[in-house]
Amino acid sequence: MTDNPSWSPDDRGHGRRAAPGQPGDDLGSLLTLVARGDDAAFAAVYTRVSGHVFGIARSVLRDPAHAEEVAQEVLLQIWRDAVRFDPSRGSAMAWVVMLAHRRAVDRVRAEQAATTREQRVAHPEVSYDVVAETVQARLDAERVRRCLGSLTQLQQESITLAYYRGCTYREVAVLLDVPVGTVKTRMRDGLIRLRDCLGVE
Amino acid sequence: MGRFSWRRTDPHMLAGAYALDALDSADRARFERHLSGCPACRQETRGLREASALLAATSVTTPPDGLRDRVLAAAAHTRQNQPASSPPRPAWPRRRWGIAAACGVLAVALAFGGIAYNAQHQLHQMQARSHAIAAVLGAPDATMMTGRAASGTGRATVVMSHRARALVFTTAALPAPPSAHRYELWLMGPSGSRPVGMLPAAHGGTTPPMIVTGLRAGDQVAVTVEPASGSRQPTMPMIVTVALPS
Repeated sequence: MTDNPSWSPDDRGHGRRAAPGQPGDDLGSLLTLVARGDDAAFAAVYTRVSGHVFGIARSVLRDPAHAEEVAQEVLLQIWRDAVRFDPSRGSAMAWVVMLAHRRAVDRVRAEQAATTREQRVAHPEVSYDVVAETVQARLDAERVRRCLGSLTQLQQESITLAYYRGCTYREVAVLLDVPVGTVKTRMRDGLIRLRDCLGVE
Repeated sequence: MGRFSWRRTDPHMLAGAYALDALDSADRARFERHLSGCPACRQETRGLREASALLAATSVTTPPDGLRDRVLAAAAHTRQNQPASSPPRPAWPRRRWGIAAACGVLAVALAFGGIAYNAQHQLHQMQARSHAIAAVLGAPDATMMTGRAASGTGRATVVMSHRARALVFTTAALPAPPSAHRYELWLMGPSGSRPVGMLPAAHGGTTPPMIVTGLRAGDQVAVTVEPASGSRQPTMPMIVTVALPS
């Protein structure tokens, strides 16, 4: 499998490589091996993406125990559905992150039951250090923060509430007290600006 | 909105919301139908999806130790899907989740609050307040806690950010206070109680969210019934309390 140039720059930035310089060291190639049942490749994929998957689930769900369950489901889904990864539709990391984010927001929206203090005590907030796995991941995070900082306040708030909290655009409109049409536009304008700032195609 | 405005609005405008997973399932399905017949939209959506995926870089968190072994062991016993087969997505496990959607809960509270405040033409204050609230809800360390009323009727919800040193407070389903009385919100800490303010009147059973700043270590938030003009010291008993993580 050859790298599509439009997704390799993004892919390069995430996590450590399984075997630098060797075929199979990029995430897309690893997924191809996983699709053939290669469990060593799957272990390498775990190393590359588990911090992203768990981090998203934790951000959206807030509860470490629940985040861990969702992360486990998503990681297994990667094993099961690796064959469905289609490089013509985007980078491997974007596919993995989309699976994780969708599952987390679908779950948080499906669950409308009230939290009780007792349950919070049963699952005490554990402070996991946010450990970027590599220097590269840290640089990525810094770059994203800098680009987010270049957006207007409304673009930034709309994107942050949707992505890190799982709010729908209608909920964001209510939270920020602006018309839904404005939120739609700001999400799109903001992401376009973010895309250009981050240099992804 | 929604159903009726869908056809009239340009579906392109939803590309950002789609890439952020900010569409509910019905809107998402409609947008995907639109995508299937719109190559330009697919192209744009792909780029926006790459951008949104990079947002995950800021929340990378090392998972708990046991996860790796569990995932690898489960994979060893899990059959992989084949290219041709397209089995339906497995149903969510039927288990009860204790955590509520912070966004859903607060969006409802804000909807009521927003209507009431706008009616009073306090638009600027309202918007400043909305931004302060959004800052807490959007903070990376935002945590939600709920306390049940001591009487068993009603509850209070707190979303707190240590980093923003602030919290957002709202209540649901509390009984109306006795006449000429109102609910007052307090911060109660090791060095005594500080009044925060009177709770606004509930709309549809939910009080508009209050933003609370100036938190100190060991504080809990509490609501008491006080004369309508407020008190300097809380009158016991407390109606509902929420302990804050330190």
